[in-house]
Amino acid sequence: MTLSADPDAAAPAAGGVNGSQPARRRRFGIGVLAGALVFGLIVGVAAGLLGPRLRTPGDDSPEAGFLRDMSTHHAQAVEMSMIAHANSTNPTVVNLAGDIALTQHGQINYMQAWLRDWHLSPTGSQAPMAWMPDSAGSVVNGLMPGMATPEQMVALRKATGKDLDIQYLTLMRQHHLGGIHMAQGILKLSHNDNVTWLAQTMVTSQQGEITLIDTMVKQIQAS
Amino acid sequence: MSTPGPERVPSTVRVGKKSGQGKPPAGPSKSAKATGARPGGGKGAAGKGPKGRKPIAPVKVSGGRNWGPIAVAGVVILIAAGIIGYGVFASMKGSQSWQDQAAGIKGIVNYRTQKNPQIDARDHKDGPLTYVTNPPVGGAHNPLWQNCMGDIYTEPIANEHAVHSLEHGAVWVTYKQGLAADQVDKLKSKVQGKDYMMMSPVAGLDKNISLQAWGYQLKVDSAGDKRINKFIKALRLNASMEPGAACSSGNTTTGPVQAAAGAGK
Repeated sequence: MTLSADPDAAAPAAGGVNGSQPARRRRFGIGVLAGALVFGLIVGVAAGLLGPRLRTPGDDSPEAGFLRDMSTHHAQAVEMSMIAHANSTNPTVVNLAGDIALTQHGQINYMQAWLRDWHLSPTGSQAPMAWMPDSAGSVVNGLMPGMATPEQMVALRKATGKDLDIQYLTLMRQHHLGGIHMAQGILKLSHNDNVTWLAQTMVTSQQGEITLIDTMVKQIQAS
Repeated sequence: MSTPGPERVPSTVRVGKKSGQGKPPAGPSKSAKATGARPGGGKGAAGKGPKGRKPIAPVKVSGGRNWGPIAVAGVVILIAAGIIGYGVFASMKGSQSWQDQAAGIKGIVNYRTQKNPQIDARDHKDGPLTYVTNPPVGGAHNPLWQNCMGDIYTEPIANEHAVHSLEHGAVWVTYKQGLAADQVDKLKSKVQGKDYMMMSPVAGLDKNISLQAWGYQLKVDSAGDKRINKFIKALRLNASMEPGAACSSGNTTTGPVQAAAGAGK
């Protein structure tokens, strides 16, 4: 009966469908509808503004710590490789040094760009390696695992010939081992797609380079 | 056909206004609603006035029913407002620009705002150069930069190289030559092993410690001053004029620049 009554009432008004809508509006009320709209807008705007911010790692996150520390770690690999690239007379060493310097300098810029995207400073408030569990004692005189000491860098700058090649390859092998250790550390801690992607490529390519370095050291020592 | 318009508008308005009054008759809700619909339908053609009022009553009733959802919605809105408020606070705090962070450091001097052409100059010039501040914070410099891979220089370095490092984003920590060893060691712990950092003594420095980034300077008395870490956090790399430029492959020697014989480019 109600169903049949409604069209009757609406017919003189404005037609069946339109006539039933005012009745529904009355039940909810314009205030409630407007409130729901405003609420929806607020939620939408807030989600749009805060969503990306809440999803990105924070200032003290393992990801931020890794990107900052690995940037510094990589920078020393670039430094050593540029020395070898400039001073070595062995074409395979010059080639490897150029490869490592360019790759790692490029990766530094990936890492720095992500920090910038996340509105984080390139410099953290925490000590080096603090993002990694059980890392206490792994930093000696500000140097992260695998990094060459200032004395080793001085010696590398002075070295020439076969001596330079062996020094560079030995330091780079040690540097890669430390870098792989850190990259594996963040792979255990992070689910960030960018960070884990880059860390995984570091592990794979640096492990490959260690094998190459071992071969090269044997060849150079035998020569 | 023109009647439905005015009919609808006032009726919906009334609903909003009178919804409070609708609470008392909430009891006979079902019957009122059922009857309300039918008379409304019956009188639709006859009297517009009564028709407009009668449907109101059922609406009042349903308004009474909706208090539950409204309360829930209210709580949700309050929670959302809280989340939004916190989010805005957190994001504002987190995204404070490095310039604002630097400006918040008491005693920092921002030379960038002075628009001094001698400090803003970035051209490469060979040989010894003069600077308007000691230590310098910007200006023309030698083509070769000072290596700033956390290098600890125990003797004064050439300003002409150091300024180029600042341009690359380094923070240069300087201290008065002859500063107590424990103070120097404290500074050293903030620099060693860290790229885009370097440290050296300066003869005749007017304060114990002076920190430089491109266009910024902070002078303090003690290596324990908390502003040192704030300066480094705000400006290291951020103050770079050439993002992506390196600190390695630079000059690693100390001492003044030799006068260039033919200071060509």
